[in-house]
Amino acid sequence: MSSKDQEQDKLLVHEDEKHLLLDHSYDNIQELNHPLPNWWNTIFIVSTVYAIGYFVYYQYMGGPSLREEFKKDFTEVAAVRDHFKKQNEIFNPDHYQAIVADDGLNKGKAVYELNCMPCHMERGAGDVGPNLTDDHWIVAKGTPDTVYQVVFNGSEENGMPAWGQLIPKDEVYQAVAYVMSLKNTFVKGKEPQGEKIEE
Amino acid sequence: MSASLDGKPRNGRLESFTYDDGIVKLFVIATLIWGVVALFLGVTIAFQMADWHVNLGLPWTTFGRLRPLHTNAAIFAFCGNAIFAGIYYSHQRLLKARLFSDTLSKIHFWGWQLIIVSAALTLPFGITTGKEYAELEWPIDIAITLIWVVFAVNFFGTIIRRRERHIYVAIWFYIATILTVAVLHIVNSLEIPVTLTKSYSLYAGVQDALVQWWYGHNAVAFFLTTPFLGLMYYFVPKAANRPVYSYRLSIIHFWSLVFIYIWAGPHHLLYTTLPEWAQTLGMVFSVMLWMPSWGGMINGLMTLRGVWDKVRTEPSLRFMAAALTFYGMSTFEGPLLSIKSVNAIAHFTDWIPGHVHSGTIGWNYMLIAGILFFLVPKLWNTELYSKKLAHQQFWFVTIGLVLYIISMWVAGITQSMMWRAMDDAGNLIYPNFVETVIKITPMYWIRAIGGTLVLTSFIMMMYNFWKTIKNGKKEAPVVYEAYALDSSSIEHDASAHRKLEGWPMIFSVLSLIAILVGSAIEIIPSLMADKYVVKIDAIKPYTALELYGRDVYIKEGCYLCHSQTVRPMAHEAVRYGKVSNAAEFVYDHPFQWGSKRTGPDLARVGGKYPNMWHYKHFFDPREVTAGSLMPQYRWLFDSKIDYKTLPKKLEVMRKLGVPYSQEEIDNSVADARAQAKMIAEDLAQSGVPMKIAEMDVVALIAYIQRIGVDYGSIPEEE
Ligand code: HEC
Ligand code: HEC
Repeated sequence: MSSKDQEQDKLLVHEDEKHLLLDHSYDNIQELNHPLPNWWNTIFIVSTVYAIGYFVYYQYMGGPSLREEFKKDFTEVAAVRDHFKKQNEIFNPDHYQAIVADDGLNKGKAVYELNCMPCHMERGAGDVGPNLTDDHWIVAKGTPDTVYQVVFNGSEENGMPAWGQLIPKDEVYQAVAYVMSLKNTFVKGKEPQGEKIEE
Repeated sequence: MSASLDGKPRNGRLESFTYDDGIVKLFVIATLIWGVVALFLGVTIAFQMADWHVNLGLPWTTFGRLRPLHTNAAIFAFCGNAIFAGIYYSHQRLLKARLFSDTLSKIHFWGWQLIIVSAALTLPFGITTGKEYAELEWPIDIAITLIWVVFAVNFFGTIIRRRERHIYVAIWFYIATILTVAVLHIVNSLEIPVTLTKSYSLYAGVQDALVQWWYGHNAVAFFLTTPFLGLMYYFVPKAANRPVYSYRLSIIHFWSLVFIYIWAGPHHLLYTTLPEWAQTLGMVFSVMLWMPSWGGMINGLMTLRGVWDKVRTEPSLRFMAAALTFYGMSTFEGPLLSIKSVNAIAHFTDWIPGHVHSGTIGWNYMLIAGILFFLVPKLWNTELYSKKLAHQQFWFVTIGLVLYIISMWVAGITQSMMWRAMDDAGNLIYPNFVETVIKITPMYWIRAIGGTLVLTSFIMMMYNFWKTIKNGKKEAPVVYEAYALDSSSIEHDASAHRKLEGWPMIFSVLSLIAILVGSAIEIIPSLMADKYVVKIDAIKPYTALELYGRDVYIKEGCYLCHSQTVRPMAHEAVRYGKVSNAAEFVYDHPFQWGSKRTGPDLARVGGKYPNMWHYKHFFDPREVTAGSLMPQYRWLFDSKIDYKTLPKKLEVMRKLGVPYSQEEIDNSVADARAQAKMIAEDLAQSGVPMKIAEMDVVALIAYIQRIGVDYGSIPEEE
């Protein structure tokens, strides 16, 4: 190995940098002493000034905190959501008919399979959520408007989400159409719960 | 045989000595072995994200357990051994002195391998502290400390025996590394043992998060950056046979880098409940860090001036040049990701693993490869087996890495946009989290393929070195000669910094001070927790069963896919619920905020679903959520709750300041059994047999149903 070390070709130093070569040598490593690139200096200084300015503005000069910015945003969003909820939590029979007429059942089945099946199982047999195919009802009363109410507003303390704020309004109507089609189909599954509703 | 080293007239004694290259060889071999293990684990978990079947249904092969093994193997085993190999090789030569003690070198080597083996024997079995990149449990933490001290003694002992007065810039970086890693490791690992394999972090909640990410960020800084910069300063000029570009730049970028880096940890905690002044410090220091980082890149790349033709033909230079380029890229991306508004989009998404890997593969793997192509033929006294294979390897790793980075950019930004998309009614357009997961699954496949290319490239390198080493020739160790340190090398009219380079111990103290300033300013206020976090009375400690369930959560590594912190953003408040409050976490030893949302945030999951939903979900997530990639946790259904550990667990928690009464501790087993029975009775209504009350899954459900409930019950203040 030593022979190789000695053979090592001479350090490559270009003509235009010879004057910058320092006489430091560590295991034959030498150092030039180029000045710091201007752009490097400039960006370093600018980023430092920006950092100080940013910190001072947000910490000492009343720049809005993340929480304050959030409160402002969320108040707006909450107002829109509230307005929408008030407008839509009332069941609209005409709209329901229009949705049913527009292939509501099949569209409702798709909505159901994506969102409801985890708890109500295939064809409404029930599991985590109640059986939707019997003639017993816990919250709803087996009519489109009462089913709409539960689906839209949920029964959150018992584990039924409020879908009105989770999926588009029309999908809620479509899901209702599908749930109505399950009624009294008596699919074998979870035992009936709630009260029997005679029609 | 002897080699004279330089020709200056000296008045000291002429001494002859040899270098210990045997230890370097050992570390090189360990680097290669652990490297392939780390990459194999990485590829495995990448495929698990693309297809959940790859979890194999076994506890010890599931994502949450293998991910910590992958990160620990990559950082501490692969990079760690490479660092030790490179430092031990260059340190001796830069100081013209054999390593301080051959015995310490051996203890260092074997001790470190033993630590790695014990990591491999604990992490897959769920023995973990639950703190990212610091998962190893307390006995291993102690072993790490001891071996690190051995390394430090060996390193500084060599400095004391040096025959070169001034220390070269590579050694500055080594010094900063050794001191800072020691401080980080010890402070972050303070924990109280419960059993031999279980401990609780001394810190809780916000405080724990701050210490953890001060550590985590600086593990990147002082384990994956500064030692590698040091190695770069030795091996790049050596391999290029060129003088380093700028000594002045070395000085400025070294000091600014070590001083600034340590402050940047809170950029991992933007938008959390960490006080905003600390978040802002984390952000602005990250921005300032850009140029100091690039100082290293410039000094490396400009050193290659005039030898770019050799970069094309010499594997070592080629890998080094690529490493410096990727280093430049990722140290630009880092500050960018620290800017609050960019972080709001990127945090918790796949953009972050993409960023991490442009550093770890682009910078660390590439530089290690460059160093090894330089070192292996030298150490084994032969020629490289195949340059062609090395160039092919280069293209494999480069293409693999580019696939990785681009797929994760696309996945991260796509998913983030889907999370925040709202319609005119203020409803989320993708309320089902899983829709956003299914959308990016193709990207997970591309990433896994990219990873496979990287793994293949590494195997090519192993083969190349295997053939090279087999050709190696034994030669008697070279005897070198140099003068003992004497007054002739004192430069009386040198600049202040040059003088400092002649006083390594003072240099070390100054660099220690440089890293302690930022650490103290950020961390000490959080230790005065009373003022730092305003407590809320409604937030109560976990019950015994919930605490046990929380340990199951930690054991299974759920925190690696789920966060537990709702950020102050309108779309998060709509999706998850109330924005998190610092007071919620005061009993969380350790905190579990997580850093990645592969699954949804769980901070408000308590009470969201019935028990039965979770029961089915843990058995098979796809039964309740079609398209989920979450693994099955079937073993939790027949592993029994270890009730007898409960009193001890509560007692340790009480020591840590969680207000459990003596009565609660004494009754913990009975209380836990009663709560488990209640949950089992609820499940029984859906036909689950009552014996489930004995099983881990019930404890986990108890915990999940408790998360966020106390805070959620407080009426929203206006
Ligand atoms: C997380 C589980 C879950 C999901 C998902 C779910 N439900 Fe429910 N659902 C329940 C539970 C639990 C109840 C019972 C509520 C109660 O007892 O107050 C329920 C009740 C109902 C009821 C009232 C039944 C009655 O007997 O009064 C209807 C109708 C209903 N769900 C429809 C739906 C529809 C439509 C969807 C999908 C858009 C859906 N559910 C999704 C859990 C769920
Ligand atoms: C590989 C990543 C991964 C791991 C590991 C993982 N999860 Fe999940 N988790 C997901 C994904 C993706 C979802 C969303 C789809 C679904 O509901 O399954 C999810 C959903 C959930 C949900 C439902 C949240 C909601 O609001 O709908 C809970 C609860 C949950 N996981 C708990 C856990 C627990 C507990 C563990 C550890 C035992 C765990 N997860 C481990 C990926 C993961």
